[in-house]
Amino acid sequence: MKEIQTLLRPRFLALVRQRLSLKKLMAMSFFAGIGISIWSIIFYVSYRVLTYFKSVESIGDFLSYKLLSMILLTLFSLLVFSAILTALSKLFLSTDLGLVHALPVKSESIFVARWIESTFDSSWMMLLYTAPAFIAFGIVFDGSIFYYFFLLCILLCMAIIAGGLSALIVMPIVLIMPATRIRSIFVFLGLGVFVTLYVSFRIMQPERFVNPEGFASIMLYIRTISLPSTPMIPSTWVFNTLQTALEGHYHESLFHIGILISFSLTLIFFNIIIAQLIYFRGYSKAQTAQSRLISGSNPLVYRLLSKVPGPVRAIFIKESKTFWRDQTQWSQLFLIGALIVIYLYNFSVLPFDQTPFKAYYIENLFSFLNIALAAFVLTAIGARFVFPSISHEGMSFWIIQSSPVSIRTYLWIKWLCYFIPLIIFSEILIITTNILLHVNPFMKVLSVITIACITPGVVATGIGLGAAYPDFKSENPTQTVTGFGGLMYMFCSSAFFGSVVLLETGPVYLFFNAHFQINLIKGMDIVLIILSFCLSLLICVCMVFIPMRFGEHRLTQRIQKQTPDTGYQQIESPSLKAEAQTRQEILLTRVNTIRSGNANRYPAKNVLEEIRECC
Amino acid sequence: MIKLIHLTKQYGEQTAINNIHLTVKAGEIFGFIGPNGAGKTTTIQIMAGLLLPNSGNVLLSDISMIDNPVKAKQLVGYIPDRPFIYEKLTGIEYMRFIGDFYQVSEASFKKRSEKLLHQFALWDRRNELIEAYSHGMKQRLIMGSALLHEPPIIIVDEPMVGLDPVAIKLVRDIFQKRSQGGTTIFMSTHTLNLAEQICHRVGIIHNGQLIATGSMADLKATSKKETKDLEDIFFQLTFANTMDNSA
Repeated sequence: MKEIQTLLRPRFLALVRQRLSLKKLMAMSFFAGIGISIWSIIFYVSYRVLTYFKSVESIGDFLSYKLLSMILLTLFSLLVFSAILTALSKLFLSTDLGLVHALPVKSESIFVARWIESTFDSSWMMLLYTAPAFIAFGIVFDGSIFYYFFLLCILLCMAIIAGGLSALIVMPIVLIMPATRIRSIFVFLGLGVFVTLYVSFRIMQPERFVNPEGFASIMLYIRTISLPSTPMIPSTWVFNTLQTALEGHYHESLFHIGILISFSLTLIFFNIIIAQLIYFRGYSKAQTAQSRLISGSNPLVYRLLSKVPGPVRAIFIKESKTFWRDQTQWSQLFLIGALIVIYLYNFSVLPFDQTPFKAYYIENLFSFLNIALAAFVLTAIGARFVFPSISHEGMSFWIIQSSPVSIRTYLWIKWLCYFIPLIIFSEILIITTNILLHVNPFMKVLSVITIACITPGVVATGIGLGAAYPDFKSENPTQTVTGFGGLMYMFCSSAFFGSVVLLETGPVYLFFNAHFQINLIKGMDIVLIILSFCLSLLICVCMVFIPMRFGEHRLTQRIQKQTPDTGYQQIESPSLKAEAQTRQEILLTRVNTIRSGNANRYPAKNVLEEIRECC
Repeated sequence: MIKLIHLTKQYGEQTAINNIHLTVKAGEIFGFIGPNGAGKTTTIQIMAGLLLPNSGNVLLSDISMIDNPVKAKQLVGYIPDRPFIYEKLTGIEYMRFIGDFYQVSEASFKKRSEKLLHQFALWDRRNELIEAYSHGMKQRLIMGSALLHEPPIIIVDEPMVGLDPVAIKLVRDIFQKRSQGGTTIFMSTHTLNLAEQICHRVGIIHNGQLIATGSMADLKATSKKETKDLEDIFFQLTFANTMDNSA
């Protein structure tokens, strides 16, 4: 037990010993504000929905419990999925595992310490953000204090069960497959399941659930929504605990929570037994390099780019090769793929035929709004790929710094590398949605040109702010987007495309008025249209150059402020400085002893050895 | 030829290097030694164009690294102390990446890369991802790539870290051969034996200041009679200095 505590101590100390500067405090307050707002929104929406359900006579409680069951099932599935990905990283892929396994500690102790970390990391956020929904249930159903007590217990049990199941799944699989590949496969499967569920959910038209008239009879309706869940899955035990606690049948709640707790403990027990048998073997296997032989060096690419300047070719090829060979990027690609499928699918199922307005008007209105939506998708993609691209250089950034290319040129080459695929992507997206919406030629041309003007700015904002706020030491640069720089990027990019779309609202409104012959375009209108488009274009041009200049300036400044990785950076640490001073004092005492003729106590050879070590 | 002209660099209130003034002649191997935190890496990073000094200048073949960094960098092959490189490229792809930056023509690249990969014993593994390389192999790859454009100046920070004895001998021989061909080599090292064996001149830096420069003979002449080797000189200069300061 003491071993596990010792293994967990660095993590705990890292949490409590954070140096809180004013900047960090402000950033933390900002993120806390966002977190509290999201929490409050979830609570408010849950409360309103449950109050509405409760007001539906006869079937209100059925609806609420059905919703509770769905929330629990979804939460449990997500917990297991998240726990599998986290367990893979924590148990088999973390960079500090080498150090930990070199310690004289039993492998099952390492497993338990890592498993506790993994369970906490994979579940805390999901539990925190589903808690308001459960609290809303308690308030709407007048739950007593026992309900909240049971709620705390079941949330803890759910995290333990999800963590336990994930470790049971992961440990044997690592023996068969490389750990890095399993993670990609799970992410891919998870996203596939998500897209399938989403599409099936849309096909089911869930709005019918709250509209009994759509069903053949009220009995069929009730039967549909009160179908029992399978009793063999933990989310059902959780559901039973909460339902009985809400209804005041506490002895039944105790029985169900008893099942949950005993299952959690059994899982922990089995995990420790299995960890004793196979955890270290799995870890050892995960460290073995997979086949990394790349066939040939793809001369076609070099031949195609033979006329391109050397540095551009170098960075372009390097970016594309490292991107496609990095399996952690694949999960991001799957995510984007899922996003696009959902995006396009939503456009294909929009019920224009049922709208009371003219379909032509609505379709074109949607096409206009779609510019903003496409720009948002572009921004989201930029956040995943463009913004972290500078941080992705990592500790290899010295290669760029020492190469005969200025920071400005380097940033522009990077911009070009991301601009080309993203302009193709955004145009395909906008043209496809225009086809799905059957919009008129004016909107087609406007949307195609607008997105072509917005894309360079969005990419430049990503590159510029990515250069201004890089994290070259991050193990996972993709996560840099969750920091201050990432937030700035999202804000600036959204404000940018938002203002462009807003400026185009006037001309589009005037055009449609003229089209429906409400008002014809007059002299002043033409001036307004030209002004709006010119201003939009000016913003687009500014948003290409200003962020790039800002990024170049900040990155150059940062380079000048950086200390070498040895020497000064270490001496700046108070403890190391003290240690160096102590060591130097000891050596000086010994040197003085030698000088004073008492050399026998400290043979000069030994002192030289120590000095060599010290230097 | 390398000229460091009154070079000073500060990190906040801390002075990393203080008024370093030094000239290294063409074809010379210059060893730069000093204790940890003395300012070796800072000096080298300024010379390689990774850092800007607060004052002073670096001239590489009369081209200023401060005023004209792109042109100056064309003349340099820089080898850092730690081999951080793009792990998802293969060895040959990394070399081509570096070759493209230095505008090495296709024909020259083919000829030189093959020669260097053979020389650094990486030819058989050139198509493997760098992530599968050992520390020493990565270091050898960086060295090979730094020599790809045949730079007239090589700046090396701790060249022997992580290398096996065979590779150490190889690097030593390459440096000596290049130096004979007119290449200037500026090398920081903790391996005092190496500095003694191959450097024409040595500079000792301590607390950011260059406290001694000269050939082995010069340094021996200025130190105490019982001084036998560079290790003794280094010890006397750096620790005597510390003692003087503490007194």
